[in-house]
Amino acid sequence: MLRFITHRLLQMVPVLFFVSVIIFTLINLIPGDAARLFLGEEASPDALVALRHQMGLDRPLPVQYARWIGGMLHGDFGHSFKDNRSVLATVAQKIPVTAELSCMALVIAWTIAIPAGVLAAWRRRTAADYAASAAALTGLSIPNFWLGIMLIYLFAVNLHWLPASGYVPPTQDLGRNLRTLIMPAFVLGIILAAVVMRQLRSSMLEVLSADFVRTANAKGLAAATVLVRHALRNAVIPVITVMGIQLGTLLGGVVITETIFSVPGMGRLAVESIYSRDYPMLEGVVMFSALSVLAVNLAVDILYSVIDPRITLEGGRT
Amino acid sequence: MFVPSSTDPARPTRRDLLRWGAAASLGAGALSAADLIPASAAPGGSGIRIALESDPPNMDPHRSTAAVDRQVYQNLYDKLVDTDENLRIVPMLATSWTVSPDGKTYTFKLQQGVKFHDGTPFNAQAVKYNFDRMRDPKFPSTRRSELGPVIGAEAVDAYTVRVTLERPYSPLMYVLTDRAGMMVSPAAAQKDGLNFALHPVGTGPFRFVEKIPQDHITLDRNPDYWVKGQPYLGRITYRTIVDDNARVASLKSGDTDIINAPPLPQIPSLKKEAAQSGARFRLIEKGPFAYNGIWLNVTKPPFDNKLLRQALNATIDRNAIANVVLQGAADPIYSFFPPGTPAYDPAWKIPPRNIPLAKEKLQAAGHPNGFTFTLLTVPIPFVQSVAQAVQSMASEAGIQAKIQLIEFGAFLSVLDHLQHEAGILGWSGRPDPDFDIYPFITKSGLGSFNDSGYDNPKVDELLDAARLLQDMNQRRRAYSEATKILADDMPYVWLWASKEYKLVSDRVRGFVDQPDGMMRLRAVRLA
Repeated sequence: MLRFITHRLLQMVPVLFFVSVIIFTLINLIPGDAARLFLGEEASPDALVALRHQMGLDRPLPVQYARWIGGMLHGDFGHSFKDNRSVLATVAQKIPVTAELSCMALVIAWTIAIPAGVLAAWRRRTAADYAASAAALTGLSIPNFWLGIMLIYLFAVNLHWLPASGYVPPTQDLGRNLRTLIMPAFVLGIILAAVVMRQLRSSMLEVLSADFVRTANAKGLAAATVLVRHALRNAVIPVITVMGIQLGTLLGGVVITETIFSVPGMGRLAVESIYSRDYPMLEGVVMFSALSVLAVNLAVDILYSVIDPRITLEGGRT
Repeated sequence: MFVPSSTDPARPTRRDLLRWGAAASLGAGALSAADLIPASAAPGGSGIRIALESDPPNMDPHRSTAAVDRQVYQNLYDKLVDTDENLRIVPMLATSWTVSPDGKTYTFKLQQGVKFHDGTPFNAQAVKYNFDRMRDPKFPSTRRSELGPVIGAEAVDAYTVRVTLERPYSPLMYVLTDRAGMMVSPAAAQKDGLNFALHPVGTGPFRFVEKIPQDHITLDRNPDYWVKGQPYLGRITYRTIVDDNARVASLKSGDTDIINAPPLPQIPSLKKEAAQSGARFRLIEKGPFAYNGIWLNVTKPPFDNKLLRQALNATIDRNAIANVVLQGAADPIYSFFPPGTPAYDPAWKIPPRNIPLAKEKLQAAGHPNGFTFTLLTVPIPFVQSVAQAVQSMASEAGIQAKIQLIEFGAFLSVLDHLQHEAGILGWSGRPDPDFDIYPFITKSGLGSFNDSGYDNPKVDELLDAARLLQDMNQRRRAYSEATKILADDMPYVWLWASKEYKLVSDRVRGFVDQPDGMMRLRAVRLA
């Protein structure tokens, strides 16, 4: 296990390096002059020149890239063009927010999707199955921004049960923290639930037709035991793959939901940085997103081997 | 995931790591039925919550470039002088001032007994330091251009400052009502350098507490403020709520007390709601200050031909745009000076729509059947609506406008390099008329805001002359002359001037909005 993990961590290095080259190239291809955008209403020719020099934008691209990578290897992820704040500190502030929102969304998604998927597979082609599939389709089709605004108007403006915005960290006030995140988490969770439910349903259908399930039923085990202890545990493997992908995407920042609910997460940071061409911040955000995806993939792979002892980490079944 | 360990204060702190751990271990999380800490009862007394439409990027007024920064500055910093709601200049940190007959020397007498938030004294030396900082070639200041002809500031005595210019510059007083007149603490600025923005220190009625990017900014009451009794509020929290609907919802649900920039399309319905009895908020409307219109690129076809520019102009019904498309939330305009601003000329009439005239111009230009051009616009819904209105109006004379949406950063780039044919872009407006026109229509001067490529020495002459004149009546005459020339040459098709709106909860007392839209909160209370 330890060897496997070390091996995978080492593998991350060339991947991250490759990602950094791509990010750097793409960011510099974006039209629009960072200095001009930053100066906005105050741009004058010498201010532009001075600012470009201060931002390091007058150096040749390979030099800029080398400075950035060199800085990162020393733990210096640069400073925002806007007000010089540390990229690392800002990203560190935002990651927990997006992480909490993502985890809550996943919990909501799974709480809805697992029972629904199991039920739909077990009682397939019955009313329960059709109802669950219809609900899944609705969940997939609803635009998240519309759902978000509707929830705000219902729960915040009309019922005054939940705040429309105003995130606070959980260490400061856990109650308010959860109350501000429950709506955005629900909006995200509904869409994820739809995907997971359908995946689980088809996975369960495959497992339920396997021999060992027939054996379990023949042994006289209760339906619940067969479903959960035997079938579900096997069916859930591909669903974990889906969860891994979903979590990776979520951690990259869910921009629209974060914008509507004014959640100060990675998504908004990324978009803000793009609009204002805050290159150092944007580079930092994308690197951390890439790192999150890699880390989640590793965690999912380890989780496979824990859930199913037949899967060894080196791949294949024993 | 990444947690490097280090003792560098710029690295993630233990608090951040704790938060990370707390987030990862969600556990039970039973939702509490009651909100244990009401948002307004923050330490420091009653706090007001303001919703802004975008995140203020920078708290250093000498480096700021975004209009929304100024909202926070009104309460964090004092300026040498300020404007009242009629856009007249009133004393603030400067109690009185005189201008030499040749217009090249300004002498300011300063308020005594004022201290910066860090306890250091405000005096003539501090003012000199501020001017030097803004003009220091080694400091990336963004105020340099608006202080143009200023060559120095000296402390005559502890409370008298003399500012010298190389030539007369009448916009200077209005310039000092904005960021260039905001005084920062020399001690703090010297210590922090470029990081001053992260720990700003001014003399204002509120002190900086914290700024979480894209989330909120907190200011607390300054107990040593030099105006006795003020401020009344204990705390200001600025929240960034980018989505228009969510921002309005936050006021209606009681999560915020004042919101900035209520979305223009919702103004008529909000007006109705606010007028109903039992409404818990009011809609404040102030005269227009910003303007908007179409830049025509005169350096390349089709708009290098003056007749075609005039033809397009003749097809436009400005009243319809202001009253129908924008539903009365704007005024029609035919100059760079919105109604109510100092250089506005009420005698200058907006010509009505005239399709026969447009066709005449087309004929004279050799395009009797019209022509085609591309109209660039940013993807903001109400601006797009205006673009569509223009498209429809112009088509009656045979002029086909192709509307193209473009992201704002890329848009500015295209305009700066004069690669466009036409583009809709406005200006947030300034109290001094010079800054509403000079950088936009002259080639040299305050930077490259001239997105038309227009170059007319006669207009430059008039605008330069206006800068030398101290009397606003005389300046207005010069601006009117320039406007007549521009109305003939039409490098910029003036369209509308948005009115300034605020949605205010009825808990808020004593709030006076100003045309510049900046929220001054020193005399505001919460019921």
